[in-house]
Amino acid sequence: MKDTRDEFGQDLDLLLAEVGELLAVTEESLVELEKSPEDAALIQEVFRVMHTIKGGAATLGLQEAVEVSHGMENILDQIRSGERPLTTALLNVLFQAVDWLKEWKLALTDKRAVPPNEDLVETIRLAASEVPEKGIVSGKAEPDALPPVEIPDDTVQKLDSAVNEGKNVFVLTVKFHSDAPLLSVRCFQILTFLEDVAEVVASVPSREEIEQDRVSDTLVVYITAEDGGMGAKELAGANQDVSEVTVEKYRAHVQAESSGFEGSETGDSRDEAPKLEASKVAQPAQDAPAPRRSDLGRTVRVDVGLLDFLMNMVGELVIDRTRLSQLAAQLMRSPETAAIGSEISSLAAHLQRTSSELQEGIMQARLLPVKSIFSKFPRMMRDLSLRCGKQLDFEIQGENTELDRTVLEAIDDPLIHILRNSVDHGIELPEARVAAGKPPRGRVILSAQHEENQVVVKVEDDGGGIDAERVKRSAVKKGLISEEAAQRLSEKEALELIFTPGFSTSDTATEVSGRGVGMDVVRANLERVNGQIEVRTKLGQGTLVTLRLPLTLAIMRALLVRCKEEVFAIPTSSVEEVLAMEDVTVGSVQGKPAMNVRGKVVPLISLDGALRDDLWSDNGHRYALLTRSNDRPMALGVDGLIGEEEIVVKEMGHILSRLKGIAGATILAQGDPAVILDVNRVV
Amino acid sequence: MSIDEARVVNRSPSGGERQIVAFSLGQETYGVDIASVREIIPVQKIVPVPRAPQFVEGIINLRGRVVPVLDLRKQFGFEERKDDPTQRIMLVEVGQEGIGVIVDSVSSVLRIAEDSIEEAATVVVGDEIEYIEGIAKVGTELIVLLDLTRIISDAEKRTLREADLRAAVVQ
Repeated sequence: MKDTRDEFGQDLDLLLAEVGELLAVTEESLVELEKSPEDAALIQEVFRVMHTIKGGAATLGLQEAVEVSHGMENILDQIRSGERPLTTALLNVLFQAVDWLKEWKLALTDKRAVPPNEDLVETIRLAASEVPEKGIVSGKAEPDALPPVEIPDDTVQKLDSAVNEGKNVFVLTVKFHSDAPLLSVRCFQILTFLEDVAEVVASVPSREEIEQDRVSDTLVVYITAEDGGMGAKELAGANQDVSEVTVEKYRAHVQAESSGFEGSETGDSRDEAPKLEASKVAQPAQDAPAPRRSDLGRTVRVDVGLLDFLMNMVGELVIDRTRLSQLAAQLMRSPETAAIGSEISSLAAHLQRTSSELQEGIMQARLLPVKSIFSKFPRMMRDLSLRCGKQLDFEIQGENTELDRTVLEAIDDPLIHILRNSVDHGIELPEARVAAGKPPRGRVILSAQHEENQVVVKVEDDGGGIDAERVKRSAVKKGLISEEAAQRLSEKEALELIFTPGFSTSDTATEVSGRGVGMDVVRANLERVNGQIEVRTKLGQGTLVTLRLPLTLAIMRALLVRCKEEVFAIPTSSVEEVLAMEDVTVGSVQGKPAMNVRGKVVPLISLDGALRDDLWSDNGHRYALLTRSNDRPMALGVDGLIGEEEIVVKEMGHILSRLKGIAGATILAQGDPAVILDVNRVV
Repeated sequence: MSIDEARVVNRSPSGGERQIVAFSLGQETYGVDIASVREIIPVQKIVPVPRAPQFVEGIINLRGRVVPVLDLRKQFGFEERKDDPTQRIMLVEVGQEGIGVIVDSVSSVLRIAEDSIEEAATVVVGDEIEYIEGIAKVGTELIVLLDLTRIISDAEKRTLREADLRAAVVQ
């Protein structure tokens, strides 16, 4: 369930980002139009923008914005077609609409309720109807949105009552290829699948009709779904016999009539497409060679899916390249083939340069400044502190630091959670602060900066800090740990408890942070993108939460090691040194194997044993990797070293996504998969 | 629609028919909906994943993608069988992901009339019943129709529980 919501959130974020840019362009255009109201290209541009916004909003069921943009579109259409001139009064209406859309966008970005639009819609409607004959004709020209298929009355009633119950009903139109075999079976399949992701209110043809084989190449399904029907759309689209799937919001008849628009917006995106085409064709004729004022031409909007695809392809290249180097090495070993070998070797080297530049380019394209998620926090923090009755100075540093889009998405929720905690649990009430000799205003600093090949995001507050004793008590009370075990924990270990599932220091969940997600979810989110989280606190002085995030995601350098028959990849960044066992002395500390590394005693743990959760099992290893586990030095015994390679990190699917100490998988040069270990958590 | 009509509808071949992929596991024949099967491949090198749930045999490389492979024998408590050339990996789609399932052999694609499928409760008892969509009778043979999504989501839940338990145990 979380997934679909995230997906919707992603779509929404995308839409909002786009709307932001579009509105900026529109405002510019409107200001220009004020000077030259005859400029057909400008009118066309604003029309196009409104159409785009309307389409995007309709897909996500954002009705208010659809109404406003649709109204603007109507007016612009009248002007465009020469039915009426662009008067100052009309321009003012357009400005109002843009202002409202800006408000609306902000509201959605901050997850607030959207501003009311009734007055504006009425203003627009009045403005649009000032030219009666044409206006109405134009309104009618927007064809009625209800689907081409006739809906039986009882179905309409069902749908309308669902809408009246406050449900969002979506119309999913599924078109099959004309040569699809067994249409009724396909229809049935799709209906059955859809029931898994959405509530099917009705369908045309109905289930009964399908069973009687009364089907056509179009299946219209009315569903209610929280994700705006996107999951359903994807599901239906995955069927190979389906040629096209569209999803639109359904509007009840009663509502549609009273809203003041002829025809609901649901059908517009479809019905208007040809119209837009026509206007595009017509445009060059009327398009004066006006200089373009926006710099839209310099950038393109790219689907992240495409970037991911490209990244995967680069990944494949890297694998091929690695294989090529291995072949070269083999060839060079024998004198007859040495010449060819060295040629292949230099080819591989070239391929490496090319592929890493390609990779870098794609990674660049995926980067976004952290500002894109940070920008909503000042408002959030202001609201939070007001609600908690606390005084707060919130500061953001390094907002232009860039991060991979996926990483940004992954830290968004965690940051919200951490920031909420800092206000709710961290910063004290003004009186308490003064009593503790602090200034009454608390301070929270959110910063982002590069550190080596990582981006470090910190949330620092000067609040009361986390009381390790209280954390222990709470964990004992919640049954997460026994009383005796709690006694033995160091302060640092006690702090680790806050990452345990089911833990929350606040005895009663407050309105602010008690949202059911805990630090365990925060940590899991970060680990998904190879990030790390660390909490440091000083009682009475404040808390510092540090997120360490990788700059790049998909490719890493790793040490390939052998353990029994299996090959494992260990990120080179987490290995400090590789030691041959014959060079070191292994002793024992309290009966457990340990090595002396330049005067420091380090526990020696068998990788094979660790993976079987039997740390101290046989130690007949040939090599030891000097690394850290839970931030303590550790030597990991392995049976063999294969070498260091660039590997492509692949996901292992849902079932294997949460295994402790397992970071993912990769495909080795010879084609076998291998597991990537997260040595820091392997023990 | 009258009751009589409804009966006629159920019998009509185009109305209530399902296509399934039938495969054997041990002595039994199972079936899954054809729509969920993406492809069937010979068994290839399966690399075990440490700490994976017991029924996960490991991962394979499917044209550059890493795909987990499950052993239903383990899930159903049958004895293991290794290195059998008739064994296949059936790739099924669960949610948005591909998952491999080891089966002893894939026999055929069958069309089954909906009304030849009986509810599992009438034939089997026990935990397995949750994964069973129904039992289809084809001639004298009984085919157990499996709900793979159910098997996997159930298994996943167990994994998560195990992971949480492990995380909760603080040394």
